[in-house]
Amino acid sequence: MLKKELIFRNPLRLMGHKTEDILQSGGFGAVLARAGLGKTAILVQLAIDSLLRNRNVLHISLDDPVKKVCLWYEEVFRNIADQYNIRQTEQLWEAIVSNRLIMTFRVDSFSVPKLEERLTDLIEQNIFLPQVILIDGLPFDKDIRKPLTELKRLVESRFMHTWFTVRTHRHDEYGSDGIPASLLHLSDLFDVIIKLQPEGKKIHVKSLKGGPDACDYPELLLDPSTMLVKG
Amino acid sequence: MEKTFEKVRNIGISAHIDSGKTTLTERILFYTKRIHAIHDVKGKDGIGATMDSMELEKERGITIASAATYCEWQDHEINIIDTPGHVDFTIEVERALKVLDGAILVLCSVGGVQSQSITVDQQMKRYKVPCLAFINKCDRNGANPSRVIEQLKNKLGHNAVAMQIPIGLEADFEGVVDLVSMKAVYFDGINGENIRVEDIPESLLSKAVGKREELIDVASMFSDELMEAALEDNVTDELLISAVRRGTIAREITPVFIGSAYKNKGIQPILDAVTNLLPCPSEIENHALDMSNNEAEVILSNDSQKPLVAYAFKIEEGQYGQLTYVRVYQGTLAKGDTIFNIRTGKKVKVGRVARMHANQMEDLGKISAGYIGALFGIDCASGDTFVAKDINLTITSMFIPEPVISLAIIPEDSTAEVNMSKALNRFSKEDPTFRTFVSKETGDTIISGMGELHLEVYVERMRREYNAKITIGTPTVSYRETIMRLAEFNYTHKKQTGGAGQFGRVAGYMEPVIEEEFVFENKITGGAIPTQFIPACEKGFRKCLEKGPKMEFPVTGLKIVITDGQSHSVDSSEMAFQAAARGAFLEGYAKAKPVIHEPIMKVVVETPTEYQGAVMGSLNQRRGIILASQDEGYMSVIEAQVPLAEMFGYSTVLRSLTQGKAQFTMEFYIYKQVPNSIAEELEKKSAVKKKNYV
Repeated sequence: MLKKELIFRNPLRLMGHKTEDILQSGGFGAVLARAGLGKTAILVQLAIDSLLRNRNVLHISLDDPVKKVCLWYEEVFRNIADQYNIRQTEQLWEAIVSNRLIMTFRVDSFSVPKLEERLTDLIEQNIFLPQVILIDGLPFDKDIRKPLTELKRLVESRFMHTWFTVRTHRHDEYGSDGIPASLLHLSDLFDVIIKLQPEGKKIHVKSLKGGPDACDYPELLLDPSTMLVKG
Repeated sequence: MEKTFEKVRNIGISAHIDSGKTTLTERILFYTKRIHAIHDVKGKDGIGATMDSMELEKERGITIASAATYCEWQDHEINIIDTPGHVDFTIEVERALKVLDGAILVLCSVGGVQSQSITVDQQMKRYKVPCLAFINKCDRNGANPSRVIEQLKNKLGHNAVAMQIPIGLEADFEGVVDLVSMKAVYFDGINGENIRVEDIPESLLSKAVGKREELIDVASMFSDELMEAALEDNVTDELLISAVRRGTIAREITPVFIGSAYKNKGIQPILDAVTNLLPCPSEIENHALDMSNNEAEVILSNDSQKPLVAYAFKIEEGQYGQLTYVRVYQGTLAKGDTIFNIRTGKKVKVGRVARMHANQMEDLGKISAGYIGALFGIDCASGDTFVAKDINLTITSMFIPEPVISLAIIPEDSTAEVNMSKALNRFSKEDPTFRTFVSKETGDTIISGMGELHLEVYVERMRREYNAKITIGTPTVSYRETIMRLAEFNYTHKKQTGGAGQFGRVAGYMEPVIEEEFVFENKITGGAIPTQFIPACEKGFRKCLEKGPKMEFPVTGLKIVITDGQSHSVDSSEMAFQAAARGAFLEGYAKAKPVIHEPIMKVVVETPTEYQGAVMGSLNQRRGIILASQDEGYMSVIEAQVPLAEMFGYSTVLRSLTQGKAQFTMEFYIYKQVPNSIAEELEKKSAVKKKNYV
């Protein structure tokens, strides 16, 4: 019951996505924003939503140590529980944490073959079978089309889908659809792209690709105090 | 001869296991002329490091007990507590940190910040101990002090700043460049005792200048004078050291030194740093609790003239009898004084007062505030506070975790039994996490503690130090029982066997609670059970918790609410209601879906990355849940939660899996429900045990 109560409205479902997972098997999604706006917070909300639906989530961080990633989860989970006024969440937390595996790599030593090796270790030994992969901190300003294509093939073959964070910069140039130039040549690999856009004191959550028509869903904002998406 | 406060340093040396802290201590004692030869921890000379005074420590190459010693350097008196690095002995580390004013955090230049460094660092934070970092083993293959400094910043959140840069690394490690004096320092002679100071090699000059600027930048945050001097390009050594000192004492800066204790390089500069950068006793604020004022916190004055407040942080059975290590926080502790033990309220006469140098001692007449020393023949437990007459202060008692593992020990003969009993009495006094009791069922003596190694070490000590010939049983895990759902009970206890009968009815419900061990609530209105029998009901329920009906494990996480009942004017008694409560408990418990809970440990394995898959597999086979893996290039750190029952013998398994290159630490995390298949096995075993017992 508690779990049902806590399966809060997935930030992207608020945008009008109908399917539970938003992305299909092999699908890529991206959360774009400048540094410090809340990309990781969105990623963690997507993860918690999946965990609550008993999906196994592999969170890969190339920026932060394990401890910091754990803190993100604890903070977001606590904020969600507070927002919905739910108490006694310890057991649920213990239950969902066992469906999450965090892996951290140094950004310079991360590669798709390495990830594939790790995934094979996990899957073949029946240690952990991820259904959702989150990759936080992959440098999109480098030429990564080839490794991304390899990764897409890999997750497709394993029936998984993947969310990425993409850091944008103030001086970035944007295409007509609002996608930054650094991602334009890769946008065909992505099924869903959303962007966090600061306007004054507000942070807007906007769909750039893969979302339903704008008129069908309400304007979404990221609450800076809780880092949760609100309608 | 005691020195003035300003020239006293009470320091600890803390680190991850095998980072070389005992080797470092050994070198410090050598350079301060407390010993005249160097023996290695796992030395071929069979003598072992001086600080590892216990035979067993010498054999295993690990430091178990905090041996206290003192030495002198640059006219300063340094009291050193050598602390153990294994998580099983954390209580020792905590006790040591509590009495220290500063510490050296030893890190391995190859392994970097390891799991135990994190635990030790958290402990230092808890006791607000300022620290210096010493990056050891710079002569090893793969040594990378810069990476370790980054890890200190990223993993431990220290504002780590290099005070030195290395001259060469790995096999080419020759010495260090001191960024304060801007000189190259080399360590000549067979034991590195001759310091040679030269100009910085040309190839390192620009790097040294850059690093010195970084150091000045960081230090100037703590001194306006330094900031001004930096702007005018007029920074003196004294200004820089004084600013770094201020930052260090405030725990805002961690100055980092480098070297190789084994190769006798970089030790003298760390001794200089202890005297220059770590605080003296009067610069640290110590607190006690006022027992006569609702345990209000009071600040101790460090004044030797004030009434005594001293803390017994370690008890040891040495060759001279019971030895109690104390830190005097206020007043003076002198031979012949009468002092009071706050916990027992007993008066104690102070006999010999000494200071220890590993297992040798030196008599002192007194110990003044701020100093560490040892007393003989005092009957007390570790953690006790000693005070002067009419003082009612206690040093904050420490959190003591509950043991998670037990082991039956059986003496082979009556002599062994006497010796074992002496040893157990001593150990349980020395270590509050080590408990002992006699099983009512089997009559066996049971010892319990914080891990397999913890108990193993005590068993070995019993055999060696007390010559107690004992055999040991299989370690057993401390399981618990609890219930999963609400269940009602309505039980009538009725007995009529001639004479006065027994009558009592108890009705209500039981339900699970998460945060409490046991809750009893009386919701009876209208006197269905007379008030005088309510405590008997509670007592009856409480008795049932000691041994759960399912598997005879203690029952926890249970709330009992009584809502109704019935009494008889003649036949009801306390005994009748206790029996009714027992019956009600059994009735409700059977319907409340009882389950078994087991201790789950947080296990952290550090392994070369090539073995990561194998290590994860081994944890998975042990019903472990892998929580995270941190890839750090050559090494990987794997975090998992594993049931304690599955961790017996894991160190052997891990060694063979990784060619001895991995190591692990574990500590209690939480109690969780045992899976059904395991619960069934436990039930079978329990049934067999019961049958045999009957």
